[in-house]
Amino acid sequence: MAATHSVSHDELAQFGAVRSGTADDAIDGVLPRTVIEPSTPEDVGRVLAAASRHGLRTVIRGGGTKLAWGRVPAALDLLLVTSRLNRVIAHRHGDLTATVQAGATLREVNQELAREGQWLPIDSPFDEATIGGIVATNDSGPLRSRYGTPRDLLIGITLAMTDGRLARSGGHVVKNVAGYDLAKLMSGSFGSLAAIVDVTVKLSPIPAASRTLAVEYDGAKPLADAAARLSASQLEPTAFDLQFRLGPGREASRLLLVRFATSPESAELQSVAAETLLTGNVRMVTESSETALWTEQVSEPWYPGGATIRLSWLPAALAQVLALLDEVHRLTAGALALYARVATGAGFLRLDTDDTGVERAVALLRSRSATVGNVVVLRQSPGLKSRVDPWGEPASAVAAARALKQAFDPAGILNAGRGPI
Amino acid sequence: MNEAIVGEFRRICGEAAVLHEPLQLLTYECDALAHLRETPALVVLPGSAAEVQAAVRLCVREGIPFVARGHGTGLSGGALPVPGGVVISLAKLNRVLEVDIPNRRVTVEPGVTNLEITRQVAPYGYYYAPDPSSQQVCSIGGNVAENSGGAHCLKYGFTVHHVLAVEAVLPDGELVTIGSATADPPGPDLLALLVGSEGTLAVVTKVVVRILRKPESVQTLLAAFDTIRDGGAAVSAIISAGIIPAAVEMMDTLAIQAAEAAVKPNFPPADTILIVELDGPAVEVRELFRVVEQISRQAGARTVEVAQDEQQRARIWRGRKAAFAAMGRVSPNYYVQDGVVPRTRLPDVLERIRSLGERAGLRIGNVFHAGDGNLHPLICYDERIPGQSAVAEEVAGEILTYCVEAGGSITGEHGVGADKKDYMPRMFSADDLDVMQRVRDAFDPKRLCNPGKVLPTPRLCGEVPGPYRQHPVEKAGLGERL
Repeated sequence: MAATHSVSHDELAQFGAVRSGTADDAIDGVLPRTVIEPSTPEDVGRVLAAASRHGLRTVIRGGGTKLAWGRVPAALDLLLVTSRLNRVIAHRHGDLTATVQAGATLREVNQELAREGQWLPIDSPFDEATIGGIVATNDSGPLRSRYGTPRDLLIGITLAMTDGRLARSGGHVVKNVAGYDLAKLMSGSFGSLAAIVDVTVKLSPIPAASRTLAVEYDGAKPLADAAARLSASQLEPTAFDLQFRLGPGREASRLLLVRFATSPESAELQSVAAETLLTGNVRMVTESSETALWTEQVSEPWYPGGATIRLSWLPAALAQVLALLDEVHRLTAGALALYARVATGAGFLRLDTDDTGVERAVALLRSRSATVGNVVVLRQSPGLKSRVDPWGEPASAVAAARALKQAFDPAGILNAGRGPI
Repeated sequence: MNEAIVGEFRRICGEAAVLHEPLQLLTYECDALAHLRETPALVVLPGSAAEVQAAVRLCVREGIPFVARGHGTGLSGGALPVPGGVVISLAKLNRVLEVDIPNRRVTVEPGVTNLEITRQVAPYGYYYAPDPSSQQVCSIGGNVAENSGGAHCLKYGFTVHHVLAVEAVLPDGELVTIGSATADPPGPDLLALLVGSEGTLAVVTKVVVRILRKPESVQTLLAAFDTIRDGGAAVSAIISAGIIPAAVEMMDTLAIQAAEAAVKPNFPPADTILIVELDGPAVEVRELFRVVEQISRQAGARTVEVAQDEQQRARIWRGRKAAFAAMGRVSPNYYVQDGVVPRTRLPDVLERIRSLGERAGLRIGNVFHAGDGNLHPLICYDERIPGQSAVAEEVAGEILTYCVEAGGSITGEHGVGADKKDYMPRMFSADDLDVMQRVRDAFDPKRLCNPGKVLPTPRLCGEVPGPYRQHPVEKAGLGERL
């Protein structure tokens, strides 16, 4: 695609602030030729239309916190940055909804929503993560146990299409079945179909009180049994997590973290009831230590070094999953840790080992589809990506996904071959 | 349809599973939106996914349009046949394939009814959350097509929040699995696109749903108000207090009268009644229910009745759920509308509807899901009076305009189907609709899968990509881009 040379910065400069790519903009070491920051939704459309005409391989960037997820781009002509589209357009607090632009960070949005005692109940390990990026990756954390993943909170979207048009789906109301739900379709699309310009989301009241039980177990079996007891109970935890660590010398730590964030009396009495179900060595965590505990649970999978793998399983298979991780540990000769949502059966596996170890671990996990599924390597060294495909085997309905990609992005410019489609 | 092709359908599905006698076809002429009727050329009742696939492939080969049908309870003509086309009834695919309590998942065929799932898991203390009013008879396949909700979706969400995976035949005849029994399948969320696509993107042959643990405690109250505004203020205050009830329902005088006439729920005579239900851990329900009671009184409730036992609670819901059918007691004919407004706009829009009814000389009853702003105006008319049914239909259309103008939607749960496709341009711009059409064409390039539904025909959307045009919502000054 030598067409790039014929597109001057001047042509793109009509639609936003343009500069040349620098090392800070590189994705897996690949430098974008041009970086553009449009200031209006219409300009996002115009940039995409120009990129389509000229065949510019384009990646859309929010806060740039998850750009290493996916394959290495073959080449990168244009980085479209949404940071100037960063407003909360409307907070309809009486309706518990808000419309926010893609480039606003979750942190900023939640600061604004908090003025009315509301929030967008999504976890992000990254301070700079934007709403657009969170929706495009459908990234989630412990709060999904209660509130679902970002896709579950979407009620409307505006997209800039690759032909330059703006298209909406959904609306401003939580209940609405008119037309196709393109908002949820964008979840997990990683910017490979269209650019998200703004989203409308369902909000929740900020809980009045919160407390967390941290319970230590000395074996996988007692932990899995306690998890099953809590799952079968009628208690409604806000988060129900696992932190499982195997150190380099096989020293293990197994923690269940159970949070009740709700009305004061309920938080207190539910945690008392949970305590009797969880047995083990129970510690009650509140206030700033509680906040710190959950921040750590969300952030640790992403501390520098090693690799991070997302995977899922049937919730009742927890003991088998932990046994499988023992095998992974023996194979890789390094530390590992699983940060997981127990009731969902999903989590992030952190491997602190070298490339060979990661390659072996992923091969083993992908060969055990009866125990774990949807094994996606979100973070690994770029050099390893040619040997370990981040996405794994394509799912079913490949032809339909391909037809959709063709319909949204006929020039094939979006996401520069990084996947998932 | 020529005999050879009918013969092929017979070879696929079996002799008895292919209907083409006029009398047999009668049942399939419409769904629960009975004023829209078409006669299909043929109805097939496949007994397996493989038979569904073979039937779809045959339709594709012969260029025959096909329409999937569950139990025909849809309210928007989503299962309306195409003249000369085939109806694929999923009624025989009605097996419960797996009940997996430890993993809280149930796998069923599409013809299983919504309530049957709950029946299967109730002995273990679980239930399936979406509860459309037709849950005793509607099929889970139809629920997937329509993204059905119910009275409890304020807290628990819709079908899309409870379906983990489906097996489906795509319009090209490919049998695929979309979604995954375990979480987080990579890639764009095709499952969420399929749920609510009203049978235009696939024919579902298997559904994996998530079930929930039955809440420990449920408490319900019924409050009577002198004005709809007071009732609306109570709802707003409950939400502002940080409480998300399991259900918040409202009924007006006419709906109350109708319910009384039909099932005698012993509702107080009032301008407006509000039903609020909380569920969850007993400690939480107890704590928050006190707040709800207090708020209702502060908002001016004349009476507040708290259901003391399951029997009383059932009585309140019987009255609420009977309100639709009960309209027949107070009016020879009625038209049920389904629109949505933001919750805070409810009193304004209801007042507009009231004066519209007065102007048109028609009584309009209101039963609605107040928690999520989903209105169900019941427009009463008498078809024996010349011109009155046309007026009723006009009134119903006008109400949708009010909903869109208030920033809402033309349908909250009944779907667009054949009924409302021409209202879609009131809510979406030509570009919006064009993108939806492109999505549809990506799945169904031959346009054989439930054609004539959801999107307006003839296409109002521009065939040629053009510059940005103002969105109808923006034109009305209700939204903005920047």
